[in-house]
Amino acid sequence: MRVSGAPAGFEEVYLRYASRLRKIAVRKFSIPVAEAETLVHDVFATYFMHAASVHAVEPYLIGAICNASRHYMRRSDAADALFCGETPCAATPSDALLDEVARKLLLSRMLAGVGSRCRELLRRYYWNGDTTKAIADTLDSTPGTILVYLHKCRRRALTAYRALSEIS
Amino acid sequence: MDHIPENELAIFAFDPDAMPEPRRSVINRHTAECASCRSTLDFFAVAEDDLSDVDVWEPMMGSATREALMTYAARIADEDREAEELLQPLFDAPAQAAWLNLNTKRRFLSGGVARCLSAHAHSICQNEPLDALTFADAAISVAEALPDDNYPANAIYEVRGTAWKERANAQRFLGQFPEAIESLSRAERAYKHLASPSLGLSAVAYVRACVFCDQQRLDEAAAMAERAEHGFAHLGDDDRRMTALFLRAVIKFEARDIGDAASLFRQVIAYAESMNNSLWIARGSDALGNCEVHRGNLGEASMHFHKALTLFREVGSASELIRTEWGIANVLLHGGKQSEAIRRLRDVAAEFETLGMITDAALVRLDLVDALLALGQTRQIVDVASRLFRVFTDAGMLTGALTALAYLREAASAGTLTPDGVQSVRSFLRQAERQPALLFVPPPSENR
Repeated sequence: MRVSGAPAGFEEVYLRYASRLRKIAVRKFSIPVAEAETLVHDVFATYFMHAASVHAVEPYLIGAICNASRHYMRRSDAADALFCGETPCAATPSDALLDEVARKLLLSRMLAGVGSRCRELLRRYYWNGDTTKAIADTLDSTPGTILVYLHKCRRRALTAYRALSEIS
Repeated sequence: MDHIPENELAIFAFDPDAMPEPRRSVINRHTAECASCRSTLDFFAVAEDDLSDVDVWEPMMGSATREALMTYAARIADEDREAEELLQPLFDAPAQAAWLNLNTKRRFLSGGVARCLSAHAHSICQNEPLDALTFADAAISVAEALPDDNYPANAIYEVRGTAWKERANAQRFLGQFPEAIESLSRAERAYKHLASPSLGLSAVAYVRACVFCDQQRLDEAAAMAERAEHGFAHLGDDDRRMTALFLRAVIKFEARDIGDAASLFRQVIAYAESMNNSLWIARGSDALGNCEVHRGNLGEASMHFHKALTLFREVGSASELIRTEWGIANVLLHGGKQSEAIRRLRDVAAEFETLGMITDAALVRLDLVDALLALGQTRQIVDVASRLFRVFTDAGMLTGALTALAYLREAASAGTLTPDGVQSVRSFLRQAERQPALLFVPPPSENR
């Protein structure tokens, strides 16, 4: 679902790295989730402005979220944040974090293969945090039936996940 | 073995305590032994957690951040496209740009125009610094006229910082060093408004190092170059990092700290070899050749120059190739083969003149003067000095360089020219190229 007019390259970079940058801000610098979202936004806003002059996107973005997080914490001012003392940046994600990001991307692709009804049900239950009763009310159903649907959708998800895991 | 039904595994994964005993213990024991059920349980356990994460849903469902950023990216792309069309006529006629107050004309008031002007200034600053200054000034006037909240996340300061940086670049090539330093301070102030200013601040540090080096403020230059190198390394920008490292080596060379300079040039070569980058191998080898000439290791110097020559023939520019030939001629000169050196130096100087690189040609001819001085051929030195005087006059370079060349000619005629005298003219010509207002003062021993 690309926003019309946005260069494809920008969207690709955003989708590839946004999740990693959020994790770095939250896990490595203990930035609150909502604030991390703002930092990720600001890092991309600066990157888009001079994307053509960035030679290596991944280390640039990691260095940028590292500096933005440090700047946010006000441990140092922006000039000092330029040199966080480590090369490569201390915020360089660990294998565990990269594995988690990869797993979530796989889950995301899996959700594309479970059908729109299941996807909507899982989205409401897991992401929105809607209760089975709330979902049942809007679907003119019962919480018990929703639990059954959820179970079926999880099974579909598992099948799709296994298929994708085998491919990747 | 009977497997655990998936619905039970799903419930167990979500909340193990929700599964009554003894069934809970059965599931625990079974999943410890059964890889298939364990992987299903793992999936449900992970999925329960992961499915609540925005990262899983964002690629499909979008997010407020993604929507906002993509709208912003589309706007930048539109602005850039419009600016290119709008500015092309001005790029073809730079003088016109100087007379237009772009910031007073509504259609020019966009971030795209400021970015496009800065990019153009950057692309021409080395060869046409005066025009680059005009475009950088125009970029600044537009960028400063835009509201602070023109873009989200203070991104307007990226546009402003870059415009000021390009002004500094142009001023550097025009020899306006104090003005360049001031422009860099403005760039730095702008970049500091950003959440992630590293690239801009590293670039400022690099340009500042160049300016300090041109001013012969070598300690400050070295500190800035190191800062830039560190900043680029932190961003994983190896190419820019090498440029900063190379500058650090050049600064050491300028300070006549040849040992450290050679060591840094070797680092450049090692990096370039690891990246299979022929251009940087050639540049590093050429520079290392010059270090070895200074250390009197002519065999090694020759080896480095020939390596550089081979690579520059494939990937270098004409001027880089000629510069390496100059190095080889110097090896011959220092090796006592004056006649061969003189022949090659004349060829190299002529090639530089063909490219319009008058100062470089003059510096080569000063090496020629060194050779002639060693051979006691003062009459020929007078000819060389006269020729240089004529070339500079014809090129309209009516600066202190003419005074220096006049001194060279007169000292040669009077038979008082020494290698130190030649060196003082050489140092002056190198500085005067960037500082046309500089005045030549003959060396003390000749000045009495």
